Amino acid sequence: MASTTSDTAVADTKPFDIVATYNELLRSDADLTMPIAAIEALVLLLTHSASSTISETLDLLEKSTAHLKRSIPNPIGLSAGTDLFQRYLITTLQRPGQLGPAGDFKAIRTHLLSNGRLFIRRAKESRDKIAAFGRGFIRDGSTILTNGGSRAVAALLQKAADEEGGPSAVRFRVIYVLSSTSQESKHPNEEPEGMETVRALRAKGVPVSTIPESAVAYSLGKADMVIVGAEGVVENGGIVSRMGTYQIGLLAKAIGKPFYVVAESHKFVRLYPLGQYDLPIEQQVVEFKSEEDLAEERKQQSSVADTNGDTPIKLPLCDSVDFTPPHLISALITDSGVLTPSAVSEELIKIWF
Amino acid sequence: MNRKLGLRRCVGRLWHHFFFHKMVEPSNPAPTAPVSPPVSSTPEQATLATENPPQTLPIRDSKPTQPTGDAPASTDGATDKPLTAAELKKKAKADKAARRIRQKLEREGNTTGSTAPTPSVGAQPRQPNTPKKDAAGTGSAQKGPRAPPPRRGSGPVAQTGSVLVEQKKKKDDKKVAVFGHLYGQQRRVTVGGATKEVHPAILALGMQLVDYTICGSSARCVATLLAFKRVIESYTTPMGTSLARHLTTHLSSQITYLSTCRPLSISQGNAIRALKLFIAGIDPSTPEASAKISLCEYIDSFIREKITVADQVIADSAAQKVQDGDVIVTFAGSSIVKHTLLLAHNQGKRFRVSIIDSRPLFEGKSLARDLANSGLDVQYSLVHSITHAVKDATKVFLGAHAMTSNGGLYSRVGTALVAISPTASPSTASSSTRLPMPTSSYPWTPPVSLAVPTPDTHAPPAPENKKGGNRTPAPESPVIPHKTSSSPLADWHNTPNLQLLNIMYDVTPAEYVDMVITEMGSLPPSAVPIVHRMVTNL
Repeated sequence: MASTTSDTAVADTKPFDIVATYNELLRSDADLTMPIAAIEALVLLLTHSASSTISETLDLLEKSTAHLKRSIPNPIGLSAGTDLFQRYLITTLQRPGQLGPAGDFKAIRTHLLSNGRLFIRRAKESRDKIAAFGRGFIRDGSTILTNGGSRAVAALLQKAADEEGGPSAVRFRVIYVLSSTSQESKHPNEEPEGMETVRALRAKGVPVSTIPESAVAYSLGKADMVIVGAEGVVENGGIVSRMGTYQIGLLAKAIGKPFYVVAESHKFVRLYPLGQYDLPIEQQVVEFKSEEDLAEERKQQSSVADTNGDTPIKLPLCDSVDFTPPHLISALITDSGVLTPSAVSEELIKIWF
Repeated sequence: MNRKLGLRRCVGRLWHHFFFHKMVEPSNPAPTAPVSPPVSSTPEQATLATENPPQTLPIRDSKPTQPTGDAPASTDGATDKPLTAAELKKKAKADKAARRIRQKLEREGNTTGSTAPTPSVGAQPRQPNTPKKDAAGTGSAQKGPRAPPPRRGSGPVAQTGSVLVEQKKKKDDKKVAVFGHLYGQQRRVTVGGATKEVHPAILALGMQLVDYTICGSSARCVATLLAFKRVIESYTTPMGTSLARHLTTHLSSQITYLSTCRPLSISQGNAIRALKLFIAGIDPSTPEASAKISLCEYIDSFIREKITVADQVIADSAAQKVQDGDVIVTFAGSSIVKHTLLLAHNQGKRFRVSIIDSRPLFEGKSLARDLANSGLDVQYSLVHSITHAVKDATKVFLGAHAMTSNGGLYSRVGTALVAISPTASPSTASSSTRLPMPTSSYPWTPPVSLAVPTPDTHAPPAPENKKGGNRTPAPESPVIPHKTSSSPLADWHNTPNLQLLNIMYDVTPAEYVDMVITEMGSLPPSAVPIVHRMVTNL
């Protein structure tokens, strides 16, 4: 039974490529976060597949999730979404009643799909909710240091700028830390992440200063607080975020500035990293090379024309992440309220049990 | 940095603790056997007195000059001159009392463990200071400035001086007064005197608990449940009562017997509570046979769900945390840590294990043997070489006896030391536990305390003598003396100035625990109360 279902599942997924769908979704909608894109891809998968039993559906879901996670270099963010969706499916299916295991599967399926879409819509709205919660943190005359290209942070800052009632009333300033790694990447002409937000804020009359990452310690004295985004919020209340966030957190702690994280609650991941090197991804950050190694690498690059085998995909430096431990975080501003890091595990337990 | 400071503060407070009770001498070379060497400890106490003026000052508001005059006096240990007239007057009674006790004690060559004047036995010249300082330490709340110096039961002794009380003292004085609350009731060492209701299976279990044949929180829990199963199987409801009503009381007498053998572990307590709840829920109209069957099934499923399967789940998720090249440090012998490491090894991970072991039970030996037999790379060291063992540790795995509701890790004594040590290096401590079961009635001590006062914290010092093997039960004493005369502790009951303290558990503060691996997933220690709430609500 199990083998036949898996066979059909594989046969079904062939025309529908979940990885391509996921990437396409992310590309098409700039407002989409990774977990939401993953959920949307899974919902699309379910609409495309013709599964007719619960176990078939779950099996298909599990296989596609595993496939998706394998194919994406940094699956931390999307795993929050896939886990959430899977959990949601299972709890819905276990619930007694018309939609329970005894009910009509067709009805269950349509219910799942419609609810999945509802979930996506709600998740998109959560950014506004966060902005509403976080607005109180930005006071008159304050200076905020931020980094990366987090849309939640951008939404929060823009909301704060709007709320003050037009350009004349804006009374906060922003120090924007621009990543230098993205400039070193393949596209040297590409503007660093976050420039869009910088432009938008400047258009609203918010004075913005852009600094390189090396100037964070120097500039922190002028900032009143640090607000950063996150790719994933892990179980102990720490965050997985753009490379460089950890050092900002450390510096903020050392200088005594509050360090706030803005993240949607669907970014909570059931992951418990114990340190920087305990993340479930491969990153090429610290690499020791001698001249010999470099020469060999060059030779290999010229001879082998990118044969991407089954080896785990390594994350390029510009997309690398680090882990900011919970003791550096003052509070997490989420759509379910402002939480302390220790409250994250409670929220996660609530979702999972 | 913070942790280091915290540790220092904690040590400082412990010192303070010792100083005021003057029972355990800080300079003691053997931590489990606080033989009091009063002379060597004197300077240390004096320095402490000068170091902690804020703590000594408020008590002596009536005589502002004292704290400074006091310390030197005890340092050179030869003068009682610097005392003011007021103080001399205040201490008149105390001196008399203390002197009387001292004379008696000298005659008998014995120390009074639970009375203040004890340390004065060896250091007569500084004796007048001793009770005064003691009054400062203990009399803050109830005694006031004119407090009579000797604390607790020593007053009546001094006044009556009767031989009767003296003998009672002799019996008590083998207890270290600071930890007096840990001793609890006397341990049973034979089956003699057990009530007739106690089932033979329970009698046997009790003896196994007494001599640590069954040791470890889950082993004790499983053994207890299995013994209860036999009790239930051979149980017949007496006429005129129902099973639901009577079986609980029948079990209670078994439990009482067990708890006199060794205080019940928290896991046992939780299992018993669950079982009693189930019994209470049995419909009185159920036929006895079917009720017994359902009870036995309940016990089986309890063991399966809460222990066997939970162990597997925990070992599974803990093994995921083991990575190639890790150096895993563990302390003593936890069955769940053993499962984890074996599982990780079977998964083909290459890592090294460093086992730190210590008294009282040397449980790490069997763990080291088992792991080495399975082909793991094992290093075994005792706790005194902890800095070396911990130096290149990458992770610390600790088994938990229980988790306290503030996230503290309650485990075999020495665990706190291991958990605190790696903070110098960027390693992580994680503990794996099942059923994090803090109890609301838990008697909390300040977080600095590494020894929490629960009844089971103190075990009779028997295991220390274990290597002598030849143990014979001695009904009168909590200690099992052994006959080999080679041990310096062979005749400790009659050795003057010798008190034994054999603490079995300690509590690691939550900040030293990075992760708690439970069957409900990995959690930060701060989530322990949440899990507890969920588990009890289910």
